[in-house]
Amino acid sequence: MMAEADTRDRAARAVTRAAAGPAGRALSGRPAWAAGRIAAIAVILLWSLFPIYWAFNTSLSTLTGADSTPAHYVPSPLVGTSYRAVLGIGGAGSGISGQLGRSLLNSTIESGAAMVLTVVIAVFAAYAFARLRFKFKRTIFVSVLATLLLPAYATLIPLYRIMASLGLVNTYIAVILVYVSGFLPLAIWILYNYFNTIPPELEEAASVDGASPMVALLRVVIPVAMPGIAAAAIITFLLGWAQFLFPLILTTDLSTQPVTVIVAALNQQRVVPFTLLMACGVLAAAIPGVLALVLNRYIVQGVTAGAVK
Amino acid sequence: MNASFRRRMLPYVLLSPLVVFIGALSFVPTAVTTVQAFFRVMPLDPPTRFIGLGNFKALFSNPVIVTSWVNTAGYVAIGVVLSVVLGTAIAVALRDRFRFRGIVLAVIILPWALPAVVEAVIWSWIYNPTFGVLNSALHSAHAIGGYHVWLGLNRWLTILLIEIVQVWQITPLSVLIILAALQSIQPDLYEAARVDGAGPLQMFRRISLPLIRPALAIATVEALVLSLNIFDQVYILNGIAPLGSSVMLQTYVTTFQNLNFGGGYALSLLITVVTAVLSMATLALLYRRAEAA
Repeated sequence: MMAEADTRDRAARAVTRAAAGPAGRALSGRPAWAAGRIAAIAVILLWSLFPIYWAFNTSLSTLTGADSTPAHYVPSPLVGTSYRAVLGIGGAGSGISGQLGRSLLNSTIESGAAMVLTVVIAVFAAYAFARLRFKFKRTIFVSVLATLLLPAYATLIPLYRIMASLGLVNTYIAVILVYVSGFLPLAIWILYNYFNTIPPELEEAASVDGASPMVALLRVVIPVAMPGIAAAAIITFLLGWAQFLFPLILTTDLSTQPVTVIVAALNQQRVVPFTLLMACGVLAAAIPGVLALVLNRYIVQGVTAGAVK
Repeated sequence: MNASFRRRMLPYVLLSPLVVFIGALSFVPTAVTTVQAFFRVMPLDPPTRFIGLGNFKALFSNPVIVTSWVNTAGYVAIGVVLSVVLGTAIAVALRDRFRFRGIVLAVIILPWALPAVVEAVIWSWIYNPTFGVLNSALHSAHAIGGYHVWLGLNRWLTILLIEIVQVWQITPLSVLIILAALQSIQPDLYEAARVDGAGPLQMFRRISLPLIRPALAIATVEALVLSLNIFDQVYILNGIAPLGSSVMLQTYVTTFQNLNFGGGYALSLLITVVTAVLSMATLALLYRRAEAA
C-alpha cells in the first residue's frame, strides 16, 4: 500500500515535471504518427474548450445574434450589454445583478472558510497518521479514508435535520461545517501522501536540536510540505465552489445561497435570456477557472495522489 | 504535565478535530440513515414508527422510482465506459512531450474544475431545440434534415446526452490518473519492444495496458461513484420529470418535495450500499488481475 502510494506520487510528479519542461520521449518519430497526434490534440482541445467558448460567445452576443439560425460562431456584433446587465453597471441593473454579486460573495466565504478549516485540520491529522505511532491508528485511518468510497449524499438528510434542529439552516456555519466534513478525507489523503515523500531525517535533526514534535511540525515539516498543502487547499476550494445539492437544501435565501444555487434558479425561471444566463455562468465559473489554469500543477499533483485510494 | 506525557498525548490532540468532525457529521449521519430507513418518518404527519421494510416496498412499487434506478444504470454504463475509454485515449495522446504540452494539460483540466451546475446550463443552451449550436452544426454538416428536440422526448437519448455532460466534466480526472501511470512506465520497456519489432498498437496492448491497470481501476471507480450519484446535470437538463430521472434526484424529490423522509433515507441507504459494493468489487477485480498480469 505504502509502496504503491509512493510510486503514484512519483508518477504524479513525473506528470508535473513533464508539463513544466523537458522530459518524456517520443514513442515514434514517423511523420504520419506526428500529424495524427497533432490532429488528436486539436480534437481534444476542441472537446475540452468548445462549451466554454460557446458560453463566452453567447454572453458577448446580442439577443438576436445569439438566437440566430444557423448559429454565429463568433459574436456579431460583439457587445458587453449582458455583462453590464448582470453586473448592474450603468444603471442597467436587473434583479440579477444583486443576486449574482451577493451569491458570488457567499460562494467565496463558504468555499474559502471550508478550505482554511479543512486544510488546518487535515495537516495535523495527516501528520499524525504519517509520522506518529499511537493506538487505533490504522482503524481511524482506514475508517476516515473509507468515507471516500461512499457517496457524500449518504449523509444528506441527517445533516439537514441536524442543522435544522440546531437552528443553523440558512447560515454560513451549516454550509461550512458540512463542506469540511465532506472534504477532510480527500485532503488528509493528499497530505498524508505528501508527508510520506518528506524524509523523516528532517524532523529527527530538529528533535536532536531539542524541538518537540509539535515544534518540528510547525517549523520544519509545514514549510517543506507547502506544495502538498497548496494542492489540498486548491482542490478543497474548487470542490466547495462547485457544491450544489447540499447548499440547495441548507440555504433558503440570498443571505447564504452560493452562486451555483442562484444560477440554477435563474435557469429554472425560463425567462432569463441565454445571453444573460451565459454571462452569469461565465462569472460563476471565472474564479475556479482562473485558479485551475494558474495552479494546475498543484491540482495534477493532488488529484493523482488523492484519486488513488 | 511532563514532556513524555505530552508527547504521548500529541497524536490524540492532533486528531481530535478530525474525529469530532467526521464522527459528528459523517459517521453519525450515516448511522442515522441506516436506522431511519426502516422507520416511517414524515415530519408533517407524525408519529415516527418502525415499519421494517415498508419504505423499501413502497419505493419499489413506485414506477417513477423504479425508472430512476434503470436510468441510473444507464448513466453509470455510459459514464464509466466513455470516461475511461476517452480518458485512456487522451492520456495516450498527451503522454509524449511536445511543445505547449503544459498549456494543453492545464486547459483540459478546466471542465473538471468548473461547477457542474454552470456546465449543465451551458450544455442546455448547446442542446437547445431552436437556437442550439448542436442542431445548427449538425444541420450545416447535413447530418440531420431538420432541428431536433434533443432532451425530454426519447428516454435513452436524453440519458446519453445528459451523461455526456458529466463525462465532459469527469474525464480530465481519468486522464490525469492514467497519464500518471503511463509516465511511470520505464521507457526501456518500449525501447526493447521496438528492437523486437513491435508496433505501437502491440506495445500499447502488451506493455502499457497491463501496467496501467491499477490506474484504470481507480478511474473506473471514480466514474462509477460520480455517475451513480449524478444529480446536478439531471436537475438542470431533465428537471424532475421521470423520463431522465436519477436515483439521487428521486431521493431529493422524495425527501424535500414530498417530505417523505423515511423513503428518502431508504433510497440513500440503497444507493450508498450499491455504491460501496460496486466500487469494492471493481477494485478487487481489476486490482487482482493487475497483480496477476
